[in-house]
Amino acid sequence: MRTKKKNDLLTITLFLLPALLIFACFVIYPVGDTMYLSLRKWKGIFGAAKQWVGISNYTRVLADENFWKSLLNSLYFMIGGFVILMPLSYGLALIITSKLRGTKIMKTAFFMPVMLSTTAVALMWVFILNPSYGAVNQILRAIGLERLCKDWLSTPTLNIWSVILVNEWMFAGYNMLIFAAGLVSIPQDLYEAAQLDGCTGWKKIRYISIPLSKESFKIFSVLCITGCLKTFDLIWAMTKGGPNRSSEMPATLLYNEAFTYKNFGKSSAIGVILLVLGITLSLMTNRVFRREED
Amino acid sequence: MRKRNVGKIIIYLFAIFWTVMTLFPLLITFLCSVKDNSGITLGMFSWPKVFQWSNYVDAIQAAHILRAVMNSLFVSLVSTMAVIIIGMFAAYVLSRKKFKMRGIIYSLFLVGVMVPVHCTIIPISGMATITGGKNTFWFLILIYIAFNLSQAIFLFTGYLKGIDKELDEAAIIDGCNDFQLLTRILFPVSIPIISTEAILAFIYGYGELIFAMILMTDVNKYTVSRAMLTFQGGYNVSLGPIFACIIIAVLPMVLIYILFHEKVQEGMLTGAVKG
Repeated sequence: MRTKKKNDLLTITLFLLPALLIFACFVIYPVGDTMYLSLRKWKGIFGAAKQWVGISNYTRVLADENFWKSLLNSLYFMIGGFVILMPLSYGLALIITSKLRGTKIMKTAFFMPVMLSTTAVALMWVFILNPSYGAVNQILRAIGLERLCKDWLSTPTLNIWSVILVNEWMFAGYNMLIFAAGLVSIPQDLYEAAQLDGCTGWKKIRYISIPLSKESFKIFSVLCITGCLKTFDLIWAMTKGGPNRSSEMPATLLYNEAFTYKNFGKSSAIGVILLVLGITLSLMTNRVFRREED
Repeated sequence: MRKRNVGKIIIYLFAIFWTVMTLFPLLITFLCSVKDNSGITLGMFSWPKVFQWSNYVDAIQAAHILRAVMNSLFVSLVSTMAVIIIGMFAAYVLSRKKFKMRGIIYSLFLVGVMVPVHCTIIPISGMATITGGKNTFWFLILIYIAFNLSQAIFLFTGYLKGIDKELDEAAIIDGCNDFQLLTRILFPVSIPIISTEAILAFIYGYGELIFAMILMTDVNKYTVSRAMLTFQGGYNVSLGPIFACIIIAVLPMVLIYILFHEKVQEGMLTGAVKG
């Protein structure tokens, strides 16, 4: 009996060790080190002293207008998510779960963009949005709306919204699946009962589908909010946060502070703020939905 | 009855509109990939006058896009396999054994899902410099493993907990030890969840950008995402090969998707709902 227990302990240790080691080295330690660095001044030179500066990195971040601008930009991303992406994906989910013909092919097509790597998607759209020969301006010119032709990625505010629309293009099919999974689980006899009561078309959606999709809306909200805060790849590959830092997101700001301006302490402070903000926001979203259930 | 038809037509129109919207950027990119510069700058839309397939030769020979694709495939394949093996071993212990620290270790891995990668980039970049991990694939692979482990362990532990314990008991009576039980019995039984995690980890590895950007500075070691960033050139570069690069870069994923689209959709959904 005793040897069995000893054996068990050995198995437990050996089986867990690789996972724990990798996780501790590349996730836990770096997070801790970021917290440590956020209280120090360091220009990224190895061997140079990391001088204790207290919370001054945090006060510098909070006084930096670029930081607030980046938060505003991620707020735009969230607004875009709830105003454009959510209705769009929900609509697509209704289509692919309906009895129309060809829903299977549509589902396959709608989902495709998320499979392409983000930078490839970004590059594709950078060319399509090109002010001189891009397809978007070309279409606008062809239908006589020349005055709507814009330099989509270089005009402040317009550039962030252009990237947001590309983001919605990429993720519409993905979120469609989340909503579709919720829609499929609604019992069919509810619809049949409603039909007997004279409920048709739009009313069925309004009074049955939407209220019973609460779980999907919750998943969408959590993913959208935390995702918007973390957005990096798409904006980096399309604008690099520019021009003149107008499309900076918190994550690109963090990257630029560290690797462009060598303010490693300040960058770490942004990282810690992002970590705390992300966890708080996702807990809050969960709570909002729980309160509605009561 | 007529009202219903109108509604149906609107839905159909919208469905067709979004199908076109989804496919049109890919189609334009493909058309541009076989045009010369003037063909592109005069209008991305137009049908190519001559199909200039040599753009693809340029993309492979001058831009080394094939090497980037190979690098990406290699890194994502190895990290995916490692995540599955390491994750299964950890999940086996977390789902089958009783020991003091189990709860703590399991929640430690769970919290990992919440950590944004960006708040680890400075320390990881420093570690790479110290250990000589810059411009090496093994370091990048280790990081990809680390950032997929939380999800893998979460999915695997949940799945293994749901497997009937009678299976274990039967195997143990037959003389299986822990290692044999896991590798011979539980691995095959867990194929559905393993393939789900494989899809998620593979897509992550193939498209990952920020670590590839920080750690890989040698052009020969560029992954696809990193290589894509070098293409936003000025006006005098030839554009056709760039579009050819985009097509080559997305091709592996499109092929995988076309072959396994149901499994991929299911896997991504599991990742979203449970992750």
